[in-house]
Amino acid sequence: MNAALRPVSIDLQESEENRALIEAIEADNPEVTTRHLPGLIKLQAPGQIVINRESVEERLGHEWETGEFQLAIVSYTGNVSEWDDDQIIVKWEH
Amino acid sequence: MQYELRHQVIPAKRQTYQNVIDRLGDQPVSRYLEGTLDVQPREHFHYRPTWMPNRELYDERFSALRLTDSYRFTDPRQYYYTTYVAARAGLHDDFGKTLSYLEERDLLARLPAGWQALLSSIVVPLRHYESGAQLVSVAGARFAYGTSLEQCCSFAAFDRIGNAQMLSRVGIALGGGTRDELETAKRAWVDGAHLQPLRRLVEEIMVLDDWAESLLAIDLVDSLVYPLVYRGLDEHALLGGAVAYSLVAQHFSAWFADQRKWIDALVATWATDPEHATANRAALGHVLATWAGRAYSAVAALAAAVDNHLPMAETSAALAATAESRRSPWASLIGGAAS
Repeated sequence: MNAALRPVSIDLQESEENRALIEAIEADNPEVTTRHLPGLIKLQAPGQIVINRESVEERLGHEWETGEFQLAIVSYTGNVSEWDDDQIIVKWEH
Repeated sequence: MQYELRHQVIPAKRQTYQNVIDRLGDQPVSRYLEGTLDVQPREHFHYRPTWMPNRELYDERFSALRLTDSYRFTDPRQYYYTTYVAARAGLHDDFGKTLSYLEERDLLARLPAGWQALLSSIVVPLRHYESGAQLVSVAGARFAYGTSLEQCCSFAAFDRIGNAQMLSRVGIALGGGTRDELETAKRAWVDGAHLQPLRRLVEEIMVLDDWAESLLAIDLVDSLVYPLVYRGLDEHALLGGAVAYSLVAQHFSAWFADQRKWIDALVATWATDPEHATANRAALGHVLATWAGRAYSAVAALAAAVDNHLPMAETSAALAATAESRRSPWASLIGGAAS
């Protein structure tokens, strides 16, 4: 399977604080599918998942740093190909 | 013996509360929305207010500014009790640290004479201005229609107490731990010629019948006082050896930036309401026509007094520029109605 289709996924703690983040991911990645586990949400999409600081902030109502993603994430599959102040991209690079 | 470990997902029968389901469907939403949407009662008001028999207990006709649906407006900061308290605890913690830094190094006492006079005769007396603005916000908390508006007003009212408290603490620190400066400030607020136009204006705004008009009128004054006294003098303080003033002023500028977020969003919602937009724009235009000029002249008296203490800061000129650059935060929204 090529890198564009091979699924990447991110597991996040499902909590009040992370809801804005989850909504932002769903909005910015139309192909994402979600699966709820107890206390956990698995987000999966073919190729890549993008997290934009601005869309998270818009839903959160206050400032959010991409570093705070560390507090939400439980596990992921794929490579973190970009992690700067504005964006995090998880995708397969090999 | 072998165990097979499997997890079993038990789906919740409902994701959220009925007030949210009615509007957004059964999906998990933020605590803010859960505690905001349609929370204020709308029906089964058994008794009308004895002091205004032609209105219900909660009635959208308490203001000329109306919304087809109050919940089209939501607080961009999404403040409910927890988030609000956490944000303000942070603000006041920071302020407390600033103040103890100033007190440890005796920086307020070492301010140049002009800056000390500014603090004691202009800035600390503004605690009484904050107090007037608090009453205006309280009126909004009572008479606004819809929890989304009411809670913003409630939080703004508490903010005003907080601001007054910060100013009082500066006054107490300036007076070396005594209440002398606070008493001087009270006398200045009641008798000082430079503060009378502002006091008169605030008192007239306090007794308006329309809570939204009061709120916006106070906001017009805020939009001049805050950029001028806190933001504008901040730069001159840094250049003029009054770092202590700058350290204090930053917290008020930070609060004002936060306040702007919800007021600007609310004005935008009023001005673009599907049903009441035209009437709302006219009402906004009326507020602007009635109060913008008066706010300007009241703050001009204050600016002239600042000029007496600190001629270098050229505050009166800065006021004209401030008023011109942001004639009103909402002038463009209401378009032609502002004339």
